[in-house]
This record gives sequence, structure tokens and C-alpha cells, in this order.
Amino acid sequence: MEERSFLRIFLASGPGRIGLVFLGVIIAISVYVLTQYPLDYGLKVWNNPALWADYPKEAPPIWIRLFGVNAVPHTILELRTPTQRDPNGSLYTVGLEWGDLPPRFISLTLGKIDFHRERPPVITLSLRRPDGKEIRLFQHSPLRPQANESPPYVRYEVPRRFALSADTTVQSVVASWLRSEFNLSITASALRDHVPAALFGTPVSDREFRPLPGRYELRVRVDTPDPRDTLEKLTVVLGGSAYGLMGTDTIGRDLAQGLLFGFPVALFIGLFVSIITTFVGAALGILSGYLGGWVDAFIQRFTDIVVSVPTLPLLIFLVVLLGSNLFYIMLFIAAFGWTGLTIVIRPMVLQLREGQLIEAEKSLGASRWRIMARHIFPQLGPYIFAQLIFFTPSAILTEAGLSFLGLGDPSLPTWGQILERGFRTGAVYLGYWWWVLPPGLLIVFTAVTFLLLALALEPIVNPRLRRM
Amino acid sequence: MALLRLLAIRALTMGLVLVTVLFLMVLILGATGYSDLILRNIVREELRFIRQGLAETIRDPAELERALEKIRQDREILYGLDKPWYTRLPQMIVRVLTLDLGESRTLQTARGSRLVSEIILERLPNTILLFTTAWFVYVLIGIPLGVYLSTRVGGRIDRALSVFASVSYAVPTWWLALFMIMIFAISLRILPSGGMYSSPPPEGGLARFLDLAYHTILPVMTLVLAAVGPVIYSTRTLTLTTAQEDHVTYARAKGLDERAVMYRHILRVAAPPIVTGLLLGLTGTIAGGILTETVFNWRGMGRLYWDALRGTPDEAVIIGLTFIYTLIYVLARFVLEVLYLVLDPRVRY
Repeated sequence: MEERSFLRIFLASGPGRIGLVFLGVIIAISVYVLTQYPLDYGLKVWNNPALWADYPKEAPPIWIRLFGVNAVPHTILELRTPTQRDPNGSLYTVGLEWGDLPPRFISLTLGKIDFHRERPPVITLSLRRPDGKEIRLFQHSPLRPQANESPPYVRYEVPRRFALSADTTVQSVVASWLRSEFNLSITASALRDHVPAALFGTPVSDREFRPLPGRYELRVRVDTPDPRDTLEKLTVVLGGSAYGLMGTDTIGRDLAQGLLFGFPVALFIGLFVSIITTFVGAALGILSGYLGGWVDAFIQRFTDIVVSVPTLPLLIFLVVLLGSNLFYIMLFIAAFGWTGLTIVIRPMVLQLREGQLIEAEKSLGASRWRIMARHIFPQLGPYIFAQLIFFTPSAILTEAGLSFLGLGDPSLPTWGQILERGFRTGAVYLGYWWWVLPPGLLIVFTAVTFLLLALALEPIVNPRLRRM
Repeated sequence: MALLRLLAIRALTMGLVLVTVLFLMVLILGATGYSDLILRNIVREELRFIRQGLAETIRDPAELERALEKIRQDREILYGLDKPWYTRLPQMIVRVLTLDLGESRTLQTARGSRLVSEIILERLPNTILLFTTAWFVYVLIGIPLGVYLSTRVGGRIDRALSVFASVSYAVPTWWLALFMIMIFAISLRILPSGGMYSSPPPEGGLARFLDLAYHTILPVMTLVLAAVGPVIYSTRTLTLTTAQEDHVTYARAKGLDERAVMYRHILRVAAPPIVTGLLLGLTGTIAGGILTETVFNWRGMGRLYWDALRGTPDEAVIIGLTFIYTLIYVLARFVLEVLYLVLDPRVRY
């Protein structure tokens, strides 16, 4: 009965409802991230610059186009499953809706190739345009087997990137295609900077092209002489100046991914730290209040000392000397955070100790530990729980501050670390708002969520507001 | 007398805090081998000087090396480097207390000194300047505004304020600083984005002072915005609770005018807990100060942390900074607690 009415009070308050909705969002995103991302994402992906080579650097999010900013969306086409497969190879086809601006560049990346016969696979890239014209842009086959090699022959273990629009062969291919299709005489070298414009437009005059928006089709044909031949990575990039939902940073990392990954990390840090903090604070408060005597005196003096210590400088000191492992960082934060709860709990316990219930327990011969664990703790339970929620944002904020100083755990990207990169590389002064604002807003969002929950819990659990 | 006794107890507690922190620091320094590292650095510096002196008198390089080696061993025994680290705890405590921590890796003072103590002491006044300015501004805004709002409870401003107070708790000060830079320095271009003086700094005392004041606006504004919400809110709430007590009703019933009731019967009683609120806000202000200095390139101790953490951390500087911050914090706390004792006669008995 009682619990149900608590829930009703909780849900009746505005902050409680909003807080619950926000918490639901955070948990849902965290679950999504945990199921979709590998746990070693930080080391393997986020902090691995090679993986972000195909991404644009310092690109704003795509949706800035909605605000009238002219930007070309950066398109990365990772071709994984062929649309057609036959005994001689496979064909990858991708349809592209293209707008008014040509891409900045076109590139093709080939990952590890294994082949078994004398003849290596042949990769051919062609583009079909909205006007029905088609151009075979690029053809490549890796180095033939050498005398000292034996099958399977391996090529491009380190992926090789072909900058197609800057390639002189591609330029002459496009020049001769322009000659045959549009009767335009242009030399390959004159075309140098205009390959994307030529491919995604119609010539109006020499070196001037009118954009040709519409549906393009990109085809990559991989001819494999042996059915066992494989190609691990095949990526086509149409370079642009805007990328994704949240843009990218200086080394091209997709900020949306980092921001998403920050959710479970923040939730974990917040809850882990506040559980330890609350446990230590409540335990010491109960011991101090109930046992009295020298234990009480000792705990009180100890609390006095810890509460008078400036947290951040000592945290910096500890993390620098003992290492920026997330686990240590969380323990350090907890080590300084428990004092407030001990100070508040102690007088409550003193009051409870004099109550009739405890007196009855004592006369029945219950031990001190039993009374503390079974009778004092449950009565304070709701209050302690509310404190747990209340401590959560401060743990998240403290960790963010440490990360911002460059003391974050490098194996787990957090919002604080994203901001640190942004500040160190000068994103703030260059006005890269998409890099600076979202991580901070997410920190605020998470902290506010827990504050709202704590606010809604307060009238339910605060013993002073409740009739005991 | 009772007051003096209480003051002595507070002073003792604060002294104990300082000693505990020092002991903890030195313990960690010893256990992680950093105290050895620092001492060896000091020995190396001394040897460099001695070598210069000896090279004048001893010409034979082999003999010079032998003599130096002998001196080195003597020095290491003198510093206790031949004994295990825990035997050197008292010595290390004195070193940290006097900031005698040798030289930094790369950091320098404006004059080019690499002594840790000189680097830190050069920055100390700047931190105190920023910190106290922000402190005064938010006390001067927060407390009067809180008192004023306690007479207007439930109004629109009052409700907006409670939202502002809780949101400002959730906003990291350093991120607010980044945000302020983006708005006032990058978009609007009306305030400098950081630093303490323009480069080159203007000539003349007044011009220099005005330049400094101009550079102080944005950091102080940030610190105040971050800290003032809770101050206003707690002042308002404490004043309000006191205003509902019986003695206030009695004072009004006596026919005292509102001003007298407010100053003598409400604020006089509510003042001590308001001071406690300021006390609790201290940690936040100091921590906020470290990160705010960093963001605004304010050449104080907070920014020094950031500089010392870049690349290979400069441990000696970080040790010194941590100690000085603890010292400042403990002193500021002590001042506030004394203020509390003076304001609240009830605790004296």
C-alpha cells in the first residue's frame, strides 16, 4: 500500500515525470550502444586514426543545410554485400540521390585482397548518370604474383586508397568521355580540378559545368578469376563538407558515435560512484550515530577532515600519480564524496536510537549489528536512496572535469574527453560549435535528469517533511 | 574565552587537515617512487653546479669524474636515498611544505626560472585575484537578491530563479566558460577570449589596470553565473524559513517597522546558515576556478595544472599546486568558520 502511494506522489510531480522520461531515454540509448558497439570501442575504433581516414575533417553536421548553408554531404559508401554474384565475380550497385553541388573529391579504398591464380582480380568502377550516360571511371588490378610468392597471394593488407579525382589516368578518361559524349574538347590537365563537377554536371562551356541533380548509380565490378578470391574492404567516398548527424572532429571521427558511446559510460560512472559514495556515507553515519563513544568521535573527526579537503586538486594529484584508469578515477571520486551523507545521517540515527521500536528490539536481545542492519537502515532506506540519485550528477560532472583536464581514461571515450580534444585543438576559437556544444549539453541533460528525479523524491523521503 | 577556545579547536582541525593531506600526498609519492625521482633530480642539479666549480681546479677528466661520483654518493646518503622511502617521510613533508621540489620538466616563469616554487608563486596572485573578485561579486549579488526574493515568494522571478539555481548546478563551469567564449569572444567579438592582458600590454598603470579589468569580465561573469544561483536560492529559502518563525511575528506585533524586522530579527538569525551555504559552495568555486582559468588562459595556478598535465605530466609542479590549493582552501574555510562563530553567539556556549 505504502509503496504504491509513494509511486503516486512521485508520478504526480512534474519533475518526477520529466525525470523519468529523460532517464528512459538515457537507458534506451545506453542499451542500444551496449548491444551495437564493441566494448573495446574506445581503443579499437575511436582512438584509431586509420579507421577515420575516409571521413571529412572538422565537418559540420549535414542538417546545417536546412538553415540555408551550402554544404555538400560527405558520403561514405561501404560496399559489403554484392547486389549480384556470378561465377566470374560480383557487382556492387548503389543508388545516389545527388543535389546541386558536386562532391569535392572521389576516392576508392581497397582493403585486403586474397587471390589464388596467376591473374589477380580486376576492380572496375563506373558511374551512371540521371541523363542515362555512363562512364567507366577507373579500373585497377593489384600486382601480379611475384617469383618468391605462393598462393594465396595477399595484397593491400594496409588498405590502399585511390584518390580518383586527382588521378591523371582518371582525368584523361573523363576528358575523352566528355569529347565523345558532349563533343567538348578539353585536355586532361585542364580538367584537373573539375573532375567531380564534370561527372556530376553537364558542360555549358569550356571548364564550366551546370549541376545535374538526380539519381546516380555507382557500380563497382570485381572480377575474380578464382571463386576463392576475396576482397575484404571496398569503400567509395564522395567527399563533402558536412557529415552525419553531429559532424566530425579534427581527425575525422564521427562525433555522433562518440556522443552516443558517452551515454552508457556516463550512466555507469554516475551510478557506480554514487552507489559506493552512498554506501560508505550511510554506513559511517549509522555506525557513528548508533555506536557512539570513541567510534563516533573518530568517525566525526575523520569526516571533518575529509570534508575540508579540496576535492579537485587532490583528484588531479591522485590520477596523475596512480594512473588514469576509469576504475581508479571512480574510486577516488567516491573517496571524497561520502562526507555529506554521514553528517546528515548521524543525527537521524541518534533520533531513531531513542525510539520505542529500537528499545523493544534491545529488550528482546537483538544484537547491535542486527538492529543497525534490520531496523535502522530500512527506516532510512528511502532517504538514502534519494541521496544516491542526488549524488549521481556530481560524479558525472567531476569525471567530466577530470577528462577535460586530459586525465580521462583513454580506453573509453566520454563527453569530457571530446570537449578536451576540442579545446586543445582550438575548436572553440575556430567556432566549431557542433563539436563544443553537444557534449556539454548532454552532460547537462544527464545531470538535470538525476536532479529532477532527486527533486521529485525529496518530499517522499525527507523524514523532516514526512510524519514519522 | 569560549570563543577563543572554539577558534583554537577550528584552527587545530584545519591544521590537522593540512597535515593529513600532506601525509597522504607524501605517502603516495613515496610508494610510487616519485619522491626518489624528485630527490635524484635535486642531486643532479647540485652536481651540475659542483662540476662547474670543480672543473676549474681539477683538470684530469677521469679524476674529475671520480671526485664527482664521490660527491654524488655523499649527497645521496645526505638525502637518505640509500635508505627505503618511508624513512624519508618527514623530510619529504618539509619539502612539500616549503615547495622545495626541484625543477620542473619544461615549465618556466616569465624570467626563465624552472624552480617549482618560483613557478607556482608567480601564478598564485593571479589565482587569488580572480577567485576573490568572483567571490565578492557573487556574494554581493547573491545575498541581497536572495533576501529581496524572499519577500516576493511565488512570483514569476522566484520560480524562474529556482529553475536557474538547479540548472546552474548541472552545468559544468568550464563548459559554461567555453560557451561564453563562443558567444562573447567569437560570435559577438566584444570581449577577449582569454589571457590577462592584451599583447602587447598597454603602457602606464591605469591603462594596464583597465586592460586587466577588461580581461577579467568574462572569467568572472562565468564563475559568478555558475555559483550565484545556489547562493541566491539558499539565501532566499533560509530567510524565508526564519521569517516564518514566532519571534518575527512577535517583533512585527510589537510594531517594529519592516526594515528593523528584516535586519535585526530575520537576517541576524539567518546569517549563520547563509555563511554555511557559502562555505559549502567553496569547493565548487575552487574547482570551477581551476578549470575556468584553464579555459580563459588566465595565468594562474589552475591554468598551470593544465600546462603541467600536457604531454608528460610535470609531477613536481602538480605536487606543489595540490599543496597550495589545499592551503588556500583550508585558510578560506577557516576564515568563513570564524565568521560563523562571530555571527552566531549560540555556538559559543
